[in-house]
Amino acid sequence: MNTVSSGYSDRGMVREGNEDSFVVAPELGLFAVADGVGGHRAGEIASKMALDVLQDYLGRTSGGGEVLLGGNDPNYSDTANRLASGIRLASRVIYESAQDNPAWRNMGTTIVAALLEEERLSIAHVGDSRAYLIRGGGIIPLTEDHSMIAEQVRMGLLSPEAAQASTQRNIITRALGFEVDAEVDLCDLLLAQEDRILLCSDGLTNMVSDQMICSIALGSQNPDEICQQLVEEANMNGGKDNVTAVLIMVRSGSLSLLSRMLDWARRS
Amino acid sequence: MAKLYLKFKESVIREIILQNGITTIGRNETNDIHIDNLAVSGSHARIIGESGGFTIEDLSSTNGTYINDRRIARQPLVHNAVITVGKHTLVFLDPVAAVPSDNDQTVVMRKPASNDATVVITPPRHSPEMDQTIVRGAGSQTISPVQAAVERVGKLTVLDGSADAADYLLEKKIITIGKSDTAEIRLKGFFAPKVAAVINRTREGYFITPAAGERKLLVNGRPVTAACPLKQLDIVEAGSLKLQFSLVEV
Repeated sequence: MNTVSSGYSDRGMVREGNEDSFVVAPELGLFAVADGVGGHRAGEIASKMALDVLQDYLGRTSGGGEVLLGGNDPNYSDTANRLASGIRLASRVIYESAQDNPAWRNMGTTIVAALLEEERLSIAHVGDSRAYLIRGGGIIPLTEDHSMIAEQVRMGLLSPEAAQASTQRNIITRALGFEVDAEVDLCDLLLAQEDRILLCSDGLTNMVSDQMICSIALGSQNPDEICQQLVEEANMNGGKDNVTAVLIMVRSGSLSLLSRMLDWARRS
Repeated sequence: MAKLYLKFKESVIREIILQNGITTIGRNETNDIHIDNLAVSGSHARIIGESGGFTIEDLSSTNGTYINDRRIARQPLVHNAVITVGKHTLVFLDPVAAVPSDNDQTVVMRKPASNDATVVITPPRHSPEMDQTIVRGAGSQTISPVQAAVERVGKLTVLDGSADAADYLLEKKIITIGKSDTAEIRLKGFFAPKVAAVINRTREGYFITPAAGERKLLVNGRPVTAACPLKQLDIVEAGSLKLQFSLVEV
């Protein structure tokens, strides 16, 4: 699959440091965003550590046949299982590092990661960092937040409007490093031409509406430009948290000019 | 204001605002916080609210009351304390009580966590036999939700138009309707759009999102412009296809 990608992160307008980390490694097919939790820069360490461990694991296991940490879930592709295994390993490493170092106690991180293999994109997440698919001009969420507010909305205890206004959106129910074993949610997806996939931290989604994210993501052919614009938009709206965006764009095939003309003919 | 969130596994079931005075927890219906689970004793524990803060007291329960995985008899509650009774957890939130009263450790005075900082709540570990919540129905028959829950999957049945199948089971996370080679539900004809709509399967159900600029996605005869939930027997019209949505047991 012919893709272009980019990532951009900023500390925002309020926070002193940036506890978000991201990785864009097209050679491995790996793209990920992590948002660290924990004081005294421990969050920054946790998010960086998660991505380092994951990237290293996927680099070492790309041949296949490795033992999966946490077993193989037959409902998902091998790619998705490999990604989940790497994330579980990252959680253990963070957990154990935190046990050894008092300054790192209670550090943890969210993660949203995508692993591309041919046309299949596998997505894994823990916490409230999100993945979106932009297809056919519409924006579709691929992840469901592991946060107290999102759970209350899912159970029908809270309306989505009340959730938007809640002061408890900062409480997440899952994170890497808080327990030895992390529970990872997975999703497999076949990519189509012109798809765009966005991975981002809550510093973006708390500041910019899904519709606005969609129009910015479709506003350019250059992924660098889109990521920067998304971050700028969050900062313009207050930038209360660190903001990170990673974008993967599937390029259209060689028939694009012809298909665009047909598209034009069809619509007019 | 002090609050408790009653959680079962990953889900928040109830939010309880704590008042001064006594709040009782147990399996009997007379309790203020009534938890209908066999791992919970009839009168399990109580929370006492006084001017100095909140204290939890175990009432000699069979399976015990735990705070942050340690069995306790009586203990003051601090902000973010995770109380476990049986398989249920109660998360105590009270920003005023943010300073822990731990005599063994040097306590660093910190301001309470500001609302912008992220807080993680993790459920403690349990034995599997406590996993079942018993739901009592009419006629005092007990049904376990584990038996009652059957997985339901969405299905689109072709009512009209030329399609390559009679119906489509919506088992994947993302299902695309369009002329594109990768679309699961293929539209035919020169005028068909590559992507007409995308169906998203979530824990809350199915949602259909129209492609931008496609004026022709109808749900129950009405044009759809934003993500819209699909309900039992809804009629979806995309391009030349007319489909009916249903939820089926698999």
